[in-house]
Amino acid sequence: MSGPINIRDLAVGARVVLGSGAEAEIVSNPNDGVWLFARYLASPRDPALVGQEDMIFAQDVVEVRP
Amino acid sequence: MSDDRLARVLLTHEVAEFLYAEAELLDERHYDEWLALLADDIRYWMPMRRNVKYGEAAREFTREQADIAWFDEGKETLTRRVRQIQTGIHWAEEPQSRIAHFVSNVQLIEATPSVADAQEVAAKCRFLVYRNRVETETDLLIGKREDTLRRSGNGWLVARRKIILDQNVLMSKNLTFFF
Amino acid sequence: MTTNGPRGYRPGLVDLATGQISREIFVNDDIYAEEQERVFARSWLFVGHESQIPNPGDFFVSRMGEESVILCRDRAGAVHVFLNSCRHRGMKVCRYDDGNTTVFTCPYHGWSYGTDGALVGVPYFREAYHSALDKARWGLVEVAQMCAYKGTVWANWDAAAPPFLEYLGEFRRFLDLILDGWDGREGQAELLGGVQKWLIPCNWKFPAENFSGDSYHNISHRSVDLVGVGPSGKSRRDYGELDVARKLHVAIPDRGHQTITYVLPSGHQPQPAYQNSPEVAEYFRHCEEERRRRPGANSRLIGAPGEIFPNLALLPRQPRTLAVWHPKGAHQTEVWRFFFVDRDAPAAVKNFLRDYYIRYSGPAGMTEQDDMENWNYAHAASRGVIARRYPYTYEMGLGHAVENYEWEGLLLPGRVVDLTAAQASEEPMRNLYRRWAEFMEADSWDELMTWRRNAPREAVAAK
Repeated sequence: MSGPINIRDLAVGARVVLGSGAEAEIVSNPNDGVWLFARYLASPRDPALVGQEDMIFAQDVVEVRP
Repeated sequence: MSDDRLARVLLTHEVAEFLYAEAELLDERHYDEWLALLADDIRYWMPMRRNVKYGEAAREFTREQADIAWFDEGKETLTRRVRQIQTGIHWAEEPQSRIAHFVSNVQLIEATPSVADAQEVAAKCRFLVYRNRVETETDLLIGKREDTLRRSGNGWLVARRKIILDQNVLMSKNLTFFF
Repeated sequence: MTTNGPRGYRPGLVDLATGQISREIFVNDDIYAEEQERVFARSWLFVGHESQIPNPGDFFVSRMGEESVILCRDRAGAVHVFLNSCRHRGMKVCRYDDGNTTVFTCPYHGWSYGTDGALVGVPYFREAYHSALDKARWGLVEVAQMCAYKGTVWANWDAAAPPFLEYLGEFRRFLDLILDGWDGREGQAELLGGVQKWLIPCNWKFPAENFSGDSYHNISHRSVDLVGVGPSGKSRRDYGELDVARKLHVAIPDRGHQTITYVLPSGHQPQPAYQNSPEVAEYFRHCEEERRRRPGANSRLIGAPGEIFPNLALLPRQPRTLAVWHPKGAHQTEVWRFFFVDRDAPAAVKNFLRDYYIRYSGPAGMTEQDDMENWNYAHAASRGVIARRYPYTYEMGLGHAVENYEWEGLLLPGRVVDLTAAQASEEPMRNLYRRWAEFMEADSWDELMTWRRNAPREAVAAK
């Protein structure tokens, strides 16, 4: 488990891993450090989410894919 | 100590002494002598400051000679300000304020053509201006100054003064005094 | 003297028959609290200028009364005014002065709102709220009414208030004097960058009544008249026209707006001005000729200090500014001063005027400094229990206002006092406080829209 991630300046296109195990690609970043707009690429727990866009809360982001 | 370093110490000291002496003239209300220390082409500028997002520092200050400022003027207007106080009926300064200027953190930024033979000097400092007037009215204004001093005979003239006040909404009802 | 309860303001505190007004309305904290409800929560208030938010996502944080509001342009281009307070626990959702954003996110619990005010982000919406929170109900609070007029943006919390232009009534032409170009073209005012904001230790009504048209206080500016601050380095201003003009007070009685204005004689030709700057002199000569060619009565009016009820001051000539007297408790006012130039003026003219504005107005303004000293200590010396027993007099020129004023073919609205010989009157202040008392007494806007009862045709004309 890594420490908290500052999402404020993550670039559009970057991939983030969420606490649920889902992975999402950033489609826009309001740069508020609290939210990301992202599209699900994978969602093991709820496969229906894949392809959907959602607002991702900073505390849910556990990893940024290199 | 090398000659270079010694010259720098001496020049920094000389600049600080000048700034202290200038503050002394203001605090003792010797306004005409103070005006004599200002170059005829002085630019005296105090921008306003905005609260902006991290990373937008370029927008923090209003722009010189383009936007509104607290002050943005030359010697003619500064002289008129002094003359206004000297009418004795400038009610915002009558009775006159009690003012103390503190100048500190004096840093020599640049000397041209050289430290050893400086004809023009850029210096930074911090200021604290205490203003108390009438009975209990008190203002404390703190910030940074960036001065350009120009050699004139045995002394210096202030050729440019940029005043960075560390406030957003000005917490004083007026700015009837000098920085 | 009654100071509690909504009734009794007129007989007890604002006596227009004798022109006496109690000091209580300036210094009493209970009256101040009621004023927030009855005046500021129901009046049209100036919020900002559209040029401050040219692009989608642009915002400017302003104030309405004591409250922080956000003026912003949403992603679709629509302009909104929102209360700057999170619906969840009240934290300001924006603490920047201006900028561009896609969302307003509360730093406290992370609630996030779109630029259209919609609540879009609620942390743990599914988990903690079990998706039950009705987000549509919890968007940013938006003003009940908003109006953009020639670039200026106005807003009102009261849905029952009349539309802005009806509220403005026949005062509109005086507001036009500042918003139109010097050459008379419509809506040419450009806002200079940077809004001066500062605190004055006095009740907001001291500056409001001063700008309503206090031509009696010129003596307090004697020092600046002596040293000169005007565009030509002389006196305070630079208008030869004023010597041949009629100087008037114009008060719009059922609206509470009032101003000083100057009326030029019919067929008047432009006079030399700004003589120490050829480029500026040429610009204004050109504009003066242009505006005389344009149809419309405003070519014979020269603007002067005025006040739109309750707290917006206008100065349509130089220095050309709007000022808002934001109340901040009974004993403090936060002034916001906006400065304007003609959009198409040459850069040299804009610069020249900007220099003049700064040395004239605001806390470093050689003229305005003395005003603030007066308001400060007038307020301070009116707070004591003994001082409060003694009302101020506003009887100057009582009974000397006329209606249907006309000079050389120019007809003016409202109640007019000719100051050309009289120099001063307190008609504008009586007008301000008459309206203020009406707001303090009336329980609804129905009671305040007297013109709809008295003269239905006027309400129609204002639209």
